[in-house]
Amino acid sequence: MRPVAIIGTGQTRHSKRRDDVSQPELVREAAAAALADADLRPAEVDAILISNMELFEGRAFPELWAGAGAWAIGKPCLKIATGGTSGTSACIAAFHQVAAGCFDTVLVVGFEKHSEGHTQAGMALTDPYWDRSVAAGALGNFALSVCQYVQERGVSERQAAMVAVKARRNAAANPHAHLQLPDLTIEEVLASPVIAAPLRRLDMCPQSDGAAALVVAGEASARRRCRRPAWVKAAVTRHDKPYLGDLDRRLATMRTLRQAAAVAYRQAGIDDPVRDLDVAEIYEPVTYAELAWYEALGFCPDGEAGRLIEDGVTAMDGALPVNPSGGVLSTNPVGASGVIRVAEAALQLHGKGGARQVEGARRALATGYGVYAWSDVIVLESAA
Amino acid sequence: MSQPISVSHEMDLAWRYASGEAMERFCAGLTDGRIEALRCAACGLRYLPPRPFCGDCRARLTEWVAVGDEGKLEAWTEVQVPMLDAGTGRPRATPFAIGLVRLEGADTTLNHFLAETGAGRLRVGARVRARWRSERAGTMADIECFEVIG
Repeated sequence: MRPVAIIGTGQTRHSKRRDDVSQPELVREAAAAALADADLRPAEVDAILISNMELFEGRAFPELWAGAGAWAIGKPCLKIATGGTSGTSACIAAFHQVAAGCFDTVLVVGFEKHSEGHTQAGMALTDPYWDRSVAAGALGNFALSVCQYVQERGVSERQAAMVAVKARRNAAANPHAHLQLPDLTIEEVLASPVIAAPLRRLDMCPQSDGAAALVVAGEASARRRCRRPAWVKAAVTRHDKPYLGDLDRRLATMRTLRQAAAVAYRQAGIDDPVRDLDVAEIYEPVTYAELAWYEALGFCPDGEAGRLIEDGVTAMDGALPVNPSGGVLSTNPVGASGVIRVAEAALQLHGKGGARQVEGARRALATGYGVYAWSDVIVLESAA
Repeated sequence: MSQPISVSHEMDLAWRYASGEAMERFCAGLTDGRIEALRCAACGLRYLPPRPFCGDCRARLTEWVAVGDEGKLEAWTEVQVPMLDAGTGRPRATPFAIGLVRLEGADTTLNHFLAETGAGRLRVGARVRARWRSERAGTMADIECFEVIG
């Protein structure tokens, strides 16, 4: 792939309700912040990619309504909608557009306003023959997979609670994050109600209103416009079969994430991810998923994810800080969540992480997770 | 600061989907209390519910195999919060239990409702059996739920 870099990022404030702005205004807030960060005028953007799950808002054609918020009128503007991977896939599409030489600068904007719609209705409109009648949303489906994962790996509720606490404490250093629970304790997580055994309320991500944007540029523009471009070293997508029941022990196997990571690590020259990466922003909709992703991403051997969180390897002061932003567990506007992962990874390489900056970060990982088991893996580096 | 505008729609919608040959035969079988899977000739995986292709082998599936209505509970959970029932457009009563069931003669698992809630008899590895409705319409709802039998 020809050199491509992320040269600017921007986010809105994420919260339960952003009644103060309409959808295009929310998009404008993130897009304007990303363009300002890249020192780019709207007229200098060649194409726009929108990431949004329109069934959640019950409002068709977001590229029409919200596109105007991203200055898309009169320009190429496409929408990507692949569940949780929408945002990472939109970023990958932008990388491909620029790498192919189609465009020099592409603006990616992901957004969701869960408060305006009916997310469960969108989730329920799955396969009409089997899934639809028994659809139990992300919560019920995750609980089933976590049941198997716990049985097989023996991770404890307490280890999952440690993930919950790490995420929410990290979020306290992120002014954009939705959930602000700086003093959350393991005991409080374990005292939160069980909503689908074994998942407790604080094991789950919230539903947020918010938007995130980033600017992708070709080599010459990136060098001219950005002091420390975040170069794309790998960008890999893998999809899997259509039914939940097709995926054998989903969290324990997670073959899409394993395959995507293996390819991405090879492309980026990564042998030992904990040693070779400086920071990771991974898409963890539930605490147990973060533990499962540690294994799938090769941060530890299978069965040792609980030890990894206990040893603090993925804490802010650990060998590989995971989700300094607070992650999806703290902020989850679905169409934006993947863009946030990539933007936060790039932000670390730009050295603009503020209170959540990992000092000297030069190589970052971002992942996306969508529908039952779709995976995106992206590796960014500050050295070209 | 702007205030939200409430927009209400009462929708009474029905969809009409082409089932394809595999799902048509499977649904017809349910009416007679019969469960069938499609086996991939290349890798041997027996898919339930059946579908036209094996995702791994990219092969068209044509070999039907009989599946029992008893099997093993591979995963279960008890949902405590209301979830939308796509069939009625209303929230389901709570709590309700769902599981992943591997029926004898199939290699994939089915997600479906379980007859009882609460840890006790619900455990990974429990034997379960389909509870059929007496009036059947050729849909997955012909199986009301799965009951623990041991």
